[in-house]
Amino acid sequence: MIKFAALLLTMLTFAPIIVAHHSSAMFDKAEIRDVTATVREFQWTNPHIWIQIVLATDEGNESEWSIEGLGPNSLFRNGWRPNSFKAGDVVQIRFNPMRDGSNAGGFIGAKFADGRTIGRWD
Amino acid sequence: MRPQLMCIVLALLSVNSAAAGALPDWSGVWQRVEGNGGIFDPATVEPSDGRAGSPGVRQYPPLTDAWEAKYTATLELVANDRVPDPISNCGTPAGFPRMLALPDVYEFIVRPETTWIITENGPNILRIYTDGRDHPPADELWPTFTGDSVGRWNDDVLEFSSVSMIGDAHTILDRSGLTLSNQASVDTKMFLTDAGLLRAELTIEDPIALKFPWHVTRHFRRMPAGTRAYDYACAENNRNPITNAGQTLTLDTDGNVIDKVIDND
Repeated sequence: MIKFAALLLTMLTFAPIIVAHHSSAMFDKAEIRDVTATVREFQWTNPHIWIQIVLATDEGNESEWSIEGLGPNSLFRNGWRPNSFKAGDVVQIRFNPMRDGSNAGGFIGAKFADGRTIGRWD
Repeated sequence: MRPQLMCIVLALLSVNSAAAGALPDWSGVWQRVEGNGGIFDPATVEPSDGRAGSPGVRQYPPLTDAWEAKYTATLELVANDRVPDPISNCGTPAGFPRMLALPDVYEFIVRPETTWIITENGPNILRIYTDGRDHPPADELWPTFTGDSVGRWNDDVLEFSSVSMIGDAHTILDRSGLTLSNQASVDTKMFLTDAGLLRAELTIEDPIALKFPWHVTRHFRRMPAGTRAYDYACAENNRNPITNAGQTLTLDTDGNVIDKVIDND
């Protein structure tokens, strides 16, 4: 089982930000997860950006997750850049998980090893 | 060039510049003011902070009984995440009037003969002809996503009429699933407010979907000078296809479905 620090925070504090070209109903906005992960790939693409992260499992294996964000255009205007995440970055990442428990989620925020944050973190 | 001809050319250019200069300055890049996840009519949405696509969120346009029943049925699908949004498949634009409620940014290109409304999201282009023409005759119209728009300038107010929008089954007004029929028409007034917002006042009529005219008002805020708009190529990396049942799926980087439950009926 993957180790999660599940945070039961209010939706008022961390409202979902995945609203663009499709419904966000697949994400459980009542649940917020914080994980420490390694970035495998950052897809700076339309209609959504994707952060592919790798988590360590209790069994000693690795599990890849797909974390979806808004589109690059609006994110760029809010300070993101095409290299905001790099392969190999170790980050704390916060997201709304999928309702069905599959390996994906809606991005909320992230904190890098040097203390920088992006998205909604504090 | 002969002096007489030069004078004529300069005179024509001067007239054109004067006409262009008389129009309001809607330059730059703009963003919608009313958000709510793209809810179309913020004045009638309940709850007032409800987001389009969230269970229990609806608006109250003056729907006919048949269209109210249709909307109610759709809201039940919304509650179960089974309302397909046509634009999610990355093949068609949002169309008018939904295009006035989109995320990302807008550009309003004003010329004496035409005004173009360009949405980054989609993208969508609405062409409003202000050169004195009327709508085409019926046998030259067919339903399209933005329909046909003609209008005129009344001082600093752009007044235009839109007809022949493709409507229900091809477009929705927002992710609450609200739709209009292809008989809808929209009269719009757009102007700058004293606060510098661009205000759009819509009067929507639809002999099939509405009992009486529906008034919707939306606003746009100018973004800081130098703000750019960008490409929005929806099909570039769409990892969220929609099933026949209206479920939004998620794909991994190899195109495999991640979802554990797939509803394709």
